[in-house]
Amino acid sequence: MATEQATRINYRIGGMDGASCVSRIVNALTRNLIASLLFLLPVTALAHEFKAESLLIDHPKVIETPPGAKVAAGYLTVVNQGQADDRLVAIESAGIPRIEMHASKIIDGIASMKPMEGGLPLPAGKTVGLGEDGTHAMFMDLTKQLKEGEKIEAVLVFEKAGRVPVVFNVEKRSAQKNERHDHQQ
Amino acid sequence: MTTSSKWPLLRTIRWACWALVVLVVAILSFAWAQKELLKPAEVKPYATPFELTDQSGKTVTEQTFLGTPSAWFFGFTHCPDVCPTALAEMAQALKELGSDANRLTVVFVSVDPQRDTPALLKDYVAYFDERIVALTGTEEQLRAMTKARFVFYKKVGSGESYEMEHTAGIQLVRADGRFFGTLDSHETADVRLQKIRRLISE
Repeated sequence: MATEQATRINYRIGGMDGASCVSRIVNALTRNLIASLLFLLPVTALAHEFKAESLLIDHPKVIETPPGAKVAAGYLTVVNQGQADDRLVAIESAGIPRIEMHASKIIDGIASMKPMEGGLPLPAGKTVGLGEDGTHAMFMDLTKQLKEGEKIEAVLVFEKAGRVPVVFNVEKRSAQKNERHDHQQ
Repeated sequence: MTTSSKWPLLRTIRWACWALVVLVVAILSFAWAQKELLKPAEVKPYATPFELTDQSGKTVTEQTFLGTPSAWFFGFTHCPDVCPTALAEMAQALKELGSDANRLTVVFVSVDPQRDTPALLKDYVAYFDERIVALTGTEEQLRAMTKARFVFYKKVGSGESYEMEHTAGIQLVRADGRFFGTLDSHETADVRLQKIRRLISE
């Protein structure tokens, strides 16, 4: 009698009966599962990489441009898994009139930009990104707006690894500025 | 016979006393005048006259912006990262201000009038937020206006592919044209929003 009552009390936690309690838990679990899957989805969808000899090129992307803009900033990460240094010397694309590698700097409160002479050095065993310290691939003389979801075929020209075809994904500018890693003062 | 003619010494003392009173009053008034009249006028760099053109082609002046706190960013559209990032951050701040956003005017001034026409600026800023005002003007108008506001810009390079160096910070301005502070791209979005909230709640 006492046990039965205790069980009934247990089942009535929060003023609901056993069945609704169980269904709530199941509901919550399902919701969490869906939420975590949704969370993972963009990550898996965005993961895109290219390999060339000992170079791993991770997630080349360009930020969507406002209408009228003639320039766009592109970013990518290169992991040099080899024993020898290499260098990204140029980026070419049939669809983009001109692509240069530039570094933006804010020095004493003044923003300025300079071409990266000699391109992007890729020391052996290191991970280097266009996007660090204000560096970016500058897509120039654009003839049309670049919109989220578009793909831009391009060729990365490395000193040793040679020409590597990649695809830049056009993405929305994120509210957090993860594409533009902080530059030094 | 009066007392004073009887006592010439007393009369002299009385005159001396009055003279002293006059002297003290004179000194005090002079000191007050020094402090009140000669103190520097409050510096209102953002109330200095200017004339520029907004994105709809309308002429605007400093009067257009006085009366409401404002945030000013100086840049150009051929800028791949610093300028669009600043505009995106200001658009985000306007969103987060919600209904308070009408107490802040966000202004983007293009210092590259050669390439940035009002028509181009209209679409460009609307992409970030339609509430952002975009201004530009002739080289002379921009020079005068930026000089008064301690903003630097310089054309680097020639031909078609030149760059503009420019002040990177966003200037926050009080409703009466006095300087309030700056927003820096190295600050977190939270810090920037706090500063903006302090400005509009003044």
